[in-house]
Amino acid sequence: MFRKILIANRGEIALRVLCACRELDIPTVAVFSEADRNALHVRFADEAVCIGPPRGADSYLNIPHVISAAEITNVDAIHPGYGFLSENANFAEVCEVSHITFIGPSPEVIRIMGEKDRARQEAASAGLPIVPGSAGVIEDENEAAKIAAEIGFPVMIKAAEGGGGRGMREVHRAEDFAKAFQTARNEALQAFGSASVYVEKLIQHPRHIEFQVLGDKHGTVWHFGERECTIQRRHQKLLEESPSPALNSAERESMGKLVAGALMRVGYSSAGTVEFLRDQDGSLYFIEMNTRIQVEHPVTEMVTGADLVKAQIQVAAGARLEDVVEPPEFRGHAIECRINAEDPETFMPSPGRITAFRTPGGPGIRVDTAAHSDAFIPPYYDSLVAKVIAHGRDRHEAIARMRGALDGFVIEGIRTTIPLHRKILADPDFVAGRFDTGFLDRFAPAAEK
Amino acid sequence: MRNQKNKESDSLVSMDWQELERLLEFMEEHGLEEFEYSRGDFRVRLRKPGSGMMLHPGTTPISSEGQRNGQAERAQRRGAVDNDADDGTIEGVQPEAGRNTSKEDQINGQLVKSPIVGTYYEAPNPGASAFVKLGDHVSAGQVICIVEAMKLMNEIESDASGKVTKIFMQNGQPVEYGQPLFAIQPANQA
Repeated sequence: MFRKILIANRGEIALRVLCACRELDIPTVAVFSEADRNALHVRFADEAVCIGPPRGADSYLNIPHVISAAEITNVDAIHPGYGFLSENANFAEVCEVSHITFIGPSPEVIRIMGEKDRARQEAASAGLPIVPGSAGVIEDENEAAKIAAEIGFPVMIKAAEGGGGRGMREVHRAEDFAKAFQTARNEALQAFGSASVYVEKLIQHPRHIEFQVLGDKHGTVWHFGERECTIQRRHQKLLEESPSPALNSAERESMGKLVAGALMRVGYSSAGTVEFLRDQDGSLYFIEMNTRIQVEHPVTEMVTGADLVKAQIQVAAGARLEDVVEPPEFRGHAIECRINAEDPETFMPSPGRITAFRTPGGPGIRVDTAAHSDAFIPPYYDSLVAKVIAHGRDRHEAIARMRGALDGFVIEGIRTTIPLHRKILADPDFVAGRFDTGFLDRFAPAAEK
Repeated sequence: MRNQKNKESDSLVSMDWQELERLLEFMEEHGLEEFEYSRGDFRVRLRKPGSGMMLHPGTTPISSEGQRNGQAERAQRRGAVDNDADDGTIEGVQPEAGRNTSKEDQINGQLVKSPIVGTYYEAPNPGASAFVKLGDHVSAGQVICIVEAMKLMNEIESDASGKVTKIFMQNGQPVEYGQPLFAIQPANQA
């Protein structure tokens, strides 16, 4: 097992990893920017190293500083959390070269899945259904237009180096395609450093369904069921649940098996999530894979009883999957609400000092947070303040428990999305399980519609 | 009794560097982690980071595996370092009276802080003499130490011209971003 682990992240996920390390009796090193000097992950870790000024690019994303911190504290493994360097293949490689285990899949796999068009091709050759679209990236505008016409409008132009909802552009009419193609390439170049784009059929009114997987370094990959993450605003997830109200158990089993099989062929290890769009007719199409632990992993943990983060550490140290987790069984229903420091109506960020903080409790309630009374939510990082997860014997009970939890969650001093979550949980379509990715439009301010 | 109190509060309000250092020693002697005092507009809080915040040469286990180049050598250096190195820092000194905003700077001069994470070396190589000693005059841009990071020896330059009034680090000690390395009293300040 590892001698010492450095957590290359901050906020609630750093605490989550700390938690797993504690259970495994592994000493921890926290890294922090100057803005996080008093953060909980810094206080709770065994050692801590300041790695830069507040900006993410200068600190948590600064590979030399993170690696240096790992060297001077003599760690033998790094857990990258989510975001930041978690899907940076270069970083994973630098870790390898520095004789530090990167807790995640291999750099090659990270690289393949990071290039979205290549991931598509891999998925297709592994037998996963993909969204009809171009075979790879297209440089030429005319060829792109031809492919778009073949696929049939509406289409989506996607940046190959994008992901997580960024770098995508819809085109509904053939006459708008040429201009949209140029703009999309420019935007992609600006945002991701590469103008490469590919074209896919636009799935209208989709639902977002993703499968959680866990693999070891001995060739075994298991799936841990799916999560429904359809409630999104501008492609950012706000609420996730498992199981999906839209899938029946036969569909779950067959797609889960397909996903696990495909990843075994690729030699996937550690945690990962395979994302699909579900069309109105029920067809599932692979869109991308995330080679990291995800924000919404607690939903799966509550339903299966597995500890995904602890398992990540154990398989990274060489353990066999069957020795660290039970073959997953799915019990009950779990919902997660992401509480962000944002205005619940305008979504304007609301950083600042929290003046009162009281987390909910009771049966089936879990709260993952790095926030506390008197904590300062800095403006430099994402706006996630806390995750509330409610588990019940069925969806009805999970919803009831979540409503109670939201009512009992007191956060003052900043604005949060709790009021919005209350609205979602009270909405009849949500309660009926009847929604698609356009669901949140009904709560959007007039200007956005 | 009242007079004594007033005297106390006066001396705390005009607390200077030496008194703060004595307070730190007091905390060390009595094993205190945190000390906070406030009166009127003036507030000072001293918090020892303990082993959680800064790195102590003595606490890093000396690995004999030698997986990484130079690790054994570095570990030896650390072992040789004096274990009662200054390991208390002043965290969050907040003289809200406003007059002490650059107290540190005034007393010691300008701080040269580490721009990177790594290991501090006082000399260009083992056995060579140190780049600077206490009391030396340095010019802006002059190399005053090395911070090794990822096998690269980074030369750290002074950002001020003046006299070296304090050397914070011990040779071979790990260094984090922003950690004070030297205090340079600028030449034009008496």
